[in-house]
Amino acid sequence: MSKAWKLMRVMVKMQLSMANKSSMEKFGYIMIGLMMIPFGLLILFFIQGIIGNMYAALEPIGNEGVILGLLFVMMTFIFCFTSIGTVLSSFYFAEDVESFISLPFQPYQILFGKSAVPFLSLYGLNTILLLPSLVFYGIHSGSGVLYYLLGFIVWALTPIIPFVLTAIVLMFIMRFANISKNKDRTKVLVGLLGFVFAIGINVLVRLDSGTGNAAEMLTQQNALLELVTKFFPTAYFSSIALTDIGSWTGLFYFLLFVALSLGAILLFLTVGQRFYFKGVLGLSGGKRSEFDEEKVQKHVKQQSILMSLWKKEIRIIFRTPTFFTQIVVQSLFFPVFLIIIMMLDPNGPLTGWGTQLNVIEGKKVILGMFGLTVVALGINPASFSSVSRDGKSWFNHLYLPIPASKVILSKLLVSFFMNFLSILLLSLAALIVLKVPFIIWFLWFVISLITGWIASIAGLIIDLYTPKLNWTDEREVFKGRFIGIVPLALEAAVFGVVILILWNSGLEGIWTVSSVLILVLLIITAITQYFLNRMVQQKYYKIL
Amino acid sequence: MIEINRISKSFAGKHAVKDLDLSVPDGKIFGFLGPNGAGKSTTIKMMTGILPIDEGSIIMNGIDVAKEPMKAKHQFGYVPDRSDIFLRLKGIEYLNFIADVFEVPKDIRKEKIEYLTKSFGIYEALNDHIQTYSHGMRQKIVVSGVLLHDPDVWILDEPLTGLDPKSSYTLKEMMRDHARRGKIVFFSTHVLEVVEQLCDEVAIINNGHVQFKGNMAEMRQQFKDDDNLEQLFLELTQNE
Repeated sequence: MSKAWKLMRVMVKMQLSMANKSSMEKFGYIMIGLMMIPFGLLILFFIQGIIGNMYAALEPIGNEGVILGLLFVMMTFIFCFTSIGTVLSSFYFAEDVESFISLPFQPYQILFGKSAVPFLSLYGLNTILLLPSLVFYGIHSGSGVLYYLLGFIVWALTPIIPFVLTAIVLMFIMRFANISKNKDRTKVLVGLLGFVFAIGINVLVRLDSGTGNAAEMLTQQNALLELVTKFFPTAYFSSIALTDIGSWTGLFYFLLFVALSLGAILLFLTVGQRFYFKGVLGLSGGKRSEFDEEKVQKHVKQQSILMSLWKKEIRIIFRTPTFFTQIVVQSLFFPVFLIIIMMLDPNGPLTGWGTQLNVIEGKKVILGMFGLTVVALGINPASFSSVSRDGKSWFNHLYLPIPASKVILSKLLVSFFMNFLSILLLSLAALIVLKVPFIIWFLWFVISLITGWIASIAGLIIDLYTPKLNWTDEREVFKGRFIGIVPLALEAAVFGVVILILWNSGLEGIWTVSSVLILVLLIITAITQYFLNRMVQQKYYKIL
Repeated sequence: MIEINRISKSFAGKHAVKDLDLSVPDGKIFGFLGPNGAGKSTTIKMMTGILPIDEGSIIMNGIDVAKEPMKAKHQFGYVPDRSDIFLRLKGIEYLNFIADVFEVPKDIRKEKIEYLTKSFGIYEALNDHIQTYSHGMRQKIVVSGVLLHDPDVWILDEPLTGLDPKSSYTLKEMMRDHARRGKIVFFSTHVLEVVEQLCDEVAIINNGHVQFKGNMAEMRQQFKDDDNLEQLFLELTQNE
């Protein structure tokens, strides 16, 4: 086991090390840290409010235990959901696995080391969400020292079972994924699991909740809790352990929970010993296809350089699992999610909602929808990874006779294309399901396209200014780079002012306001384009 | 003809290349030798436009690389020392991309792709992702890409590393043939046997300076005591 600990320490050091990070990145981490303080306080305030209110409502009818039950169920879901991503990237997508395989380690030892970083991130969430919740519950219920002691142990053990379950399921899936023919594609599909999970939960909740509102459900010892504790009985055990303190039942459930958590670790290592290597060996390779001359010949065709560059970028994004999940899935997650929800519930409150827009003043509708668009399109991972995606291959652009402007334009078109896809999906949903009036829809669509273009330029400028080319694993392009927020902040500031001015201006009527807005957006486009061109001239050949 | 006129390049105040002067006449295979960190790759990167030149100029077939970069880049084909590029593209997609960049007409590219990849024995792998290729196969696909547009000047950074004997032979024959047609092959290496077999002229570079330039006979003449190239190389690149 000491080998496993050593391995874990090395792996944690490698993944979390600040060495080799530029001062810009370190500054970014500090900024994120500082920004988290008010955010954290806000969460605490929020949690305290919810628990306080629920306690006041549930305590008179003796149902306050539901609060803890709900809390543990929620945490279980959150832990499962976040583990999907972290487990996949740490166990399977990180290419450093292969360098450990050649060393004399048992699979379970590697797995133990590899679990450290995903586990640390779970404990981060655990500390932000569960710890204060348990403390607040303790304060409201006036619990004694024993509650806090048991609560602490329960807190420390809660992430284990969700993590182990997720990891085992993924190990089984990857074991079969590995024998598939196209490994990259399989990795992408497995990466989509999180998405399926989120929609699945939503469907379950919807199927179950009917039309009742949340408060009503809670007072009736709602079905949601039962439904979920059916799948995750440990949530039930830990809440009983903390509410029935001092009784034999409480003690029994507490010990059962502890035993199950420890058993889960053993199960995890045992399953890992048997299945981990089968999923991981040869994962970075790939099988050759049968040679088909016709297919080869089909690819031979002449096209413009711009088209060729664009296709190359799109192919790389769609074929690289990390890029696919970070760029395509993230851009389309929200619109697709929204559409599925609406489709599942054709007579729900959202259907036909757009017809009510006629009642509201046209100006406010357009400005409101514009504001939403800015937020939805603001973080476009395709744009702020435009240059960084190339990594050490960036130099290829430099010796090939392609003008810088063309390479940059192709990258701009790629990130705009990703924005365009989400605009298209959202607009179809708005038009068909929400039944937004055509004129409003049309104006919003045009405004969104221009906004999308500006957002793409903004992200590209930022990435060109501080590209991250020296990565060994694609995830580094996105991980710990706070620059994704910079374009959003810039856009929010600039467009916020525009919205404010137009909102308070004397301008009335949807056409007038939209025309002015479009004009302003075009001016902003011209300005950002100018900055981009200057940046290209100054930086393009000096990045390396 | 390649003329390199007193070029310098420094990184963080430290000279990687200092006042380097070289000229490579047409019709020659030119070997660029030197130990690790001597400045070979930096020089090649300046020749190909990957690194800006601090001082001096590089003229390729009469075109100044810094002043008319696009025109200059059409003159040469470059094989970089790393072959892990464009991994997510299929071999054929990569070649078609390069052909698009150099605007090679469809019928010519079709014919060339077939000829080159068949000579290197990778034709049947064209439909696979480059990621699935071995190091040698990756090297071959990059070399095929470079030769697609038939550039006047070939600039090859360690081209033979990782090639199997047959492909190595094929590439060497292609280099000889290219020089025979009055064109230039400029390549860097630390494999001395290759230099002895192949080169018409050599330059040995160390610490950013040219230590020797001339043909093989001249080199031997200058260092009469040395009976083999290895000793000569060691002597020239010895750091005092």
